[in-house]
Amino acid sequence: MNAQQREMLLRAMLEELVGNGYGDASVERAREVAGISASEFAAEFSDKDECLFAAYDCLTDRVVATANADCDQGDPWPERIKVGLESLLQAVAAYPQMATALTRSFPGIRPAAYQRYVELLSRFEPLMREGREYSGVEEELPGEVELLAVGAAEAIIFAEVDAGRAQRLPGMLPEILFSVLVPFMGPDRAADEMRSAAVST
Amino acid sequence: MGSTITGNEVLAVSDRDRIVQAMAECCAEVGYQRTTVAAVLERAGVDEERFASHFTGKEDCALAALNKIVSETLARISMADSRSEPAIDRRKFEGKAILDLLATRSAFARLGLVESRQGGTARMHHSYESAARVLALMAERFDGGDGPPGRPSVSARAALGGVEAVVRRELMANRGERLSQLLPDFVYAVLVPFVGQGEALRQARLAARVAAEEGL
Repeated sequence: MNAQQREMLLRAMLEELVGNGYGDASVERAREVAGISASEFAAEFSDKDECLFAAYDCLTDRVVATANADCDQGDPWPERIKVGLESLLQAVAAYPQMATALTRSFPGIRPAAYQRYVELLSRFEPLMREGREYSGVEEELPGEVELLAVGAAEAIIFAEVDAGRAQRLPGMLPEILFSVLVPFMGPDRAADEMRSAAVST
Repeated sequence: MGSTITGNEVLAVSDRDRIVQAMAECCAEVGYQRTTVAAVLERAGVDEERFASHFTGKEDCALAALNKIVSETLARISMADSRSEPAIDRRKFEGKAILDLLATRSAFARLGLVESRQGGTARMHHSYESAARVLALMAERFDGGDGPPGRPSVSARAALGGVEAVVRRELMANRGERLSQLLPDFVYAVLVPFVGQGEALRQARLAARVAAEEGL
């Protein structure tokens, strides 16, 4: 199987998962979409689970890489967080089925799959660390502040995706940005950034 | 004599508790989707007939387990709320009580915070959403109305989302016993949108003392 077929297969498997649930997700149908034979599939994956885990890893790598790239533009940290968040929300809105796979369908398979979701959230923590330098107080911020900020954004994104309203998310950038920034910068400066984002979106 | 509890009734209650406990443990081990009634029966040591006398099926049993952790949580909150301290201090004791409960009932906690959110049925998900809304309303009590203009309405829900993310990470790593040590972090997260960093950090320091107290 070539790289393009592999990508088609992995995407088709996630669509099967979202559309039909784990039990009825069909490797055969996904293979047909990608034009891959049973023997080609077997040469790469031992079973449906291995293919699904590979599909999820591929999707999450892409999401994290996008956020990293957009957060690495040389602007001040709050601006970079805004740009990264904006790209993420636009991607979620553009591919709601993949967003559902990312947040609900795959993590719900079993604890090992859920652990991948926990790890995904942790992968955003390094992007948050610089926020400590923007604190308005001299005292050290709590040790978990990075994951607290990531989880705040996740809670809003998850709720909208889950309710079938992923397309609303780009318009919610200001309030999600506030929720991410507020543990680092406090409510007044986070609200300033929120208003600035509202003007620019 | 309607008030007399027979031996069979006591056994029935015991069966029900064992089944619900077994359901929570099975879900924590393999997830709701892969949990079977047969595995629950084996773990609980009861037969199908006894299961059927209490539950209509797997989902009904899982919902009973969810109701158990929610009702125990509300009972702990109620106990902490009866203390004589000012409201903002009582909230810390409520937080500590909830974290201690999640630590001692870690299988139920995973069912409530992980499976019902992302792995279970629509009814389980509805149960999770209802509980989350109640907690968000409690967190909004910190809003004194003197914050920055235009603060988003999702602030409390988002702050709790951050707390949940940390709690879920700890539960998945089987580190439930660490949760009460994280009370200061959680107090900070829930308060900071409403009272600002300085006061949230001061309250977090006070929460560290609450977290260190035993047997609240």
